[in-house]
Amino acid sequence: MDKLKLIISSAYASILTIFLVVVITIWAEMFAPLKDWLADFSGHHWVSKSILSVLVYAVATVVLYATLRKPNPTSAPKIIRNLLVLTAIGVLAITAFYTGHHLGFL
Amino acid sequence: MDFLAIIQSKPVLIGLHLGFAIIGIDAFLWLLGKLRGDSGSQKSMIVTAAIGVLSFIASWLAGGYYYVVYYGSLVKPVIKAGLAPWAHNVAMETKEHIFLFIIPLAVTTLLITLLNKEELLKFKLRGSAIWLSVSVAGLGLLIGVMGFMISAAARWGVIN
Repeated sequence: MDKLKLIISSAYASILTIFLVVVITIWAEMFAPLKDWLADFSGHHWVSKSILSVLVYAVATVVLYATLRKPNPTSAPKIIRNLLVLTAIGVLAITAFYTGHHLGFL
Repeated sequence: MDFLAIIQSKPVLIGLHLGFAIIGIDAFLWLLGKLRGDSGSQKSMIVTAAIGVLSFIASWLAGGYYYVVYYGSLVKPVIKAGLAPWAHNVAMETKEHIFLFIIPLAVTTLLITLLNKEELLKFKLRGSAIWLSVSVAGLGLLIGVMGFMISAAARWGVIN
C-alpha cells in the first residue's frame, strides 16, 4: 500500500466532499425541488446529504488511489493546506448563508 | 423497558451524542499533544486517531437519529416560537452541516498517523497533521457550543 498516495487521495476526496456539502446545502435552500429530492431520497434532506457525503468521500478516495500517478513526495502538505483553507471557507460560507437567510438578506 | 428502547430514548441519545463527541475532541487534542511534543509511539498515535474517528462516527449516528426522529417534531417548533429562533435558523442549520466536514478530516488525519516518524519528516506532513488535529478538535468544540445554545434556546422556549 502506498501510504502517501492514500493520504493525498483522502485529502482530495475531502476537498470534493466539503465543496459538495457546501454547494448542495446552499443550493437546496435556494431551489426547493432539490431540497424535495433530497428529502425523498432517504426520507430526510440531512440524512441524504450525510449518505452522499460518505459515498462521495469513499468512492473518490478509492478512485483517486487507483488512478493517481506516484505522487511527488513533498506535494502532500500543499494539498492538506488547501483542504484546511477550504474547510474554513466552508464553515464561514454556511454560517454566513444561514445568518443571511435568517435576517432575510437571502 | 428493553436495552434498545433505553438507548433510543431522547436523553440517552443526547448523552451519547455529546459523550462520544467529547471523546472524539479529546482524542484529537491528545493526538495534537503527541504530534507537537514528538512523543508517543506510532501505534499509540494510530490508536488515538482511530478512537477519535470512531467516536465522531458514533456521535454522528446518535445525534443524527435524535435529530431526525425527535428534534424536528418536538424541539424545533419550541425554539422557533421562543425568544431565540436564530438558535435553530442559524446555529442548528450550521451545526448539522459542518458536522459533515469532520469525518473526512478525521479520517485523513488517521491516515497520516500510518506514517512512521521518518516518513512524516520526509513528506513534511507533521505540521499538516498538527493543523488537521487542531481543525477537527476546533470544529468539534464549535459544534458543541452551538449544541449548547440550541438546548438552552429550547429550555427558554418552554419557559417563555
